[in-house]
Amino acid sequence: MEAWVNEIFIGISLASILLMVAIGLAIIYGTMGVINLAHGQFVMLGAYGAWLLQTQYGVSIVVSLPVVFLVVGLVGFVVERTIIQRLYHRPLDTILATWGIGIVLEQLVRNVFGSSSRYVARPEFLEGGYIILGAHASSYRLFIIFFSLGMLAATWYLLFRTEFGTKLRSVIQNTEISECYGISAKRVYALTFAYGAGLAGIAGALITPLVSVTPTMGTSLVVDAFLVVIVGGVGSLVGTAASALMIGEATAWLSYVLNDTTGRILILLGVIVLIRFRPQGLFPDTVRR
Amino acid sequence: MLEAQALYSYYGKSPILQDVDFSVEEGGFLGIVGRNGVGKTTLLRTIMGLTDRAAGSLLFQGENLLGMRTPQRAGAGIAYIPQGREVIPRFTVRENLLMGTFPRKDGARTIPEHIFELFPILADFIDRRGGDLSGGQQQQLAIGRALAMDPKVLLLDEPTEGIQPNIVQQLEDVMRRLNKEMGLTIVLVEQNTRFVRQTADHFVLLDKGRVAMRGRGEELTNEVVDRYLAL
Ligand SMILES: Nc1ncnc2c1ncn2[C@@H]1O[C@H](COP(=O)(O)OP(=O)(O)O)[C@@H](O)[C@H]1O
Ligand SMILES: [Mg+2]
Repeated sequence: MEAWVNEIFIGISLASILLMVAIGLAIIYGTMGVINLAHGQFVMLGAYGAWLLQTQYGVSIVVSLPVVFLVVGLVGFVVERTIIQRLYHRPLDTILATWGIGIVLEQLVRNVFGSSSRYVARPEFLEGGYIILGAHASSYRLFIIFFSLGMLAATWYLLFRTEFGTKLRSVIQNTEISECYGISAKRVYALTFAYGAGLAGIAGALITPLVSVTPTMGTSLVVDAFLVVIVGGVGSLVGTAASALMIGEATAWLSYVLNDTTGRILILLGVIVLIRFRPQGLFPDTVRR
Repeated sequence: MLEAQALYSYYGKSPILQDVDFSVEEGGFLGIVGRNGVGKTTLLRTIMGLTDRAAGSLLFQGENLLGMRTPQRAGAGIAYIPQGREVIPRFTVRENLLMGTFPRKDGARTIPEHIFELFPILADFIDRRGGDLSGGQQQQLAIGRALAMDPKVLLLDEPTEGIQPNIVQQLEDVMRRLNKEMGLTIVLVEQNTRFVRQTADHFVLLDKGRVAMRGRGEELTNEVVDRYLAL
């Protein structure tokens, strides 16, 4: 019983991290059609940001989250403005370019900070935990879950309750007409890319107390996030959330029952079978045109 | 107020419009006619900056439009109602109208009341999605969206195409009222030459991307129509 609850709980906290990475990927893909292969490196930058702030300035991870969001968001903004924006008419080239950007970012970090593992401590007030249904739930994992639900709500608010969100949704549906009604698609693209990067950065910072920080840490996380996007489709936030939960739980369970590698292979197989039958994902965007 | 001289416009390397001249006075009503595929839509898209490249001179209130990006042209007061309406399908009527206010220089985000007087149906359907409206209702929404920016000129591309006759009548009345009573400048692309003859001050007849003929509205006679526009 305890082990059960424990795995469910770990699955949910994993899903919460995945959710933030996946929302960024999905929103960037849904808006610009860009498959951002540098996303894992944005996660990694966020993690190094949290590590740097803690070791250099003694800043708690909770406080570093907004700083990391802004800084990684800015990196995303600059990347979009200088490189991606020139490639929107060439989808294949954007894949290559984002892949290359990822490699450059990773190597930069390796040159500056070395490739040894770094560790970040969780904040004192989030040490310890609670006993829920007989199992131990760490406060920090609970914090991750609530924080990412908060970010999900914030993203929903941004998309559906702000003028920027209206402009973004308009550009997604009809770029030309949006421009004819005063919306600068360029600006929307750059800010959307920045927002997605910022979310990835936050996910990276949040996960630091649970894993070691290395230049390559983002890669496996972003692979899972891609699976989330493929399963959920890019149509809805709820779809992304449900899909993150499924992948997160499946990962936690399969690596508990079997082992990490076999678990991943099974999940991959499951996703392949799924897209064979539902190429649009489980929550496709259905609208009359 | 809107004036083109030796205007060329391109998709890729092909010049779709060649050496086009036209002008509209403030408060004027210009009809653009011509067979399918002669470049009428391209002319309006060139005014909005939606073709790949344009050359020549295109002035709006003395300002060079060709140097402006599309959102700036909207900000200058040009409202475009494209062929096929292109309301945003997943937006409600309210969001579509709100979108019309985005180019406003005064930053206002209120939908002008007179839009609902012209098109009461928009008030009734305010929370329905654009994609769920009928063609005629979408056209009313498209015009409403354009009016929400408080424009100086309306560019309309075949607004009555494929729309049931009673709504066509209403749309024609609205265009007439906007122009004659409210003094709004209108550039209208239209296959219906009867309406252009009755309502437009001037017309330009395009053929293969060039101006084949121009004149005052009433000069668009049956003879001209038979000669240039009959299939
Ligand atoms: N996006 C485009 N790319 C390339 N050629 C186009 C495009 N749009 C229109 N054309 C060409 O430009 C010409 C004029 O088209 P258009 O302006 O739509 O004509 P009209 O509105 O008078 O029917 C046509 O030959 C058409 O094939
Ligand atoms: Mg046309």
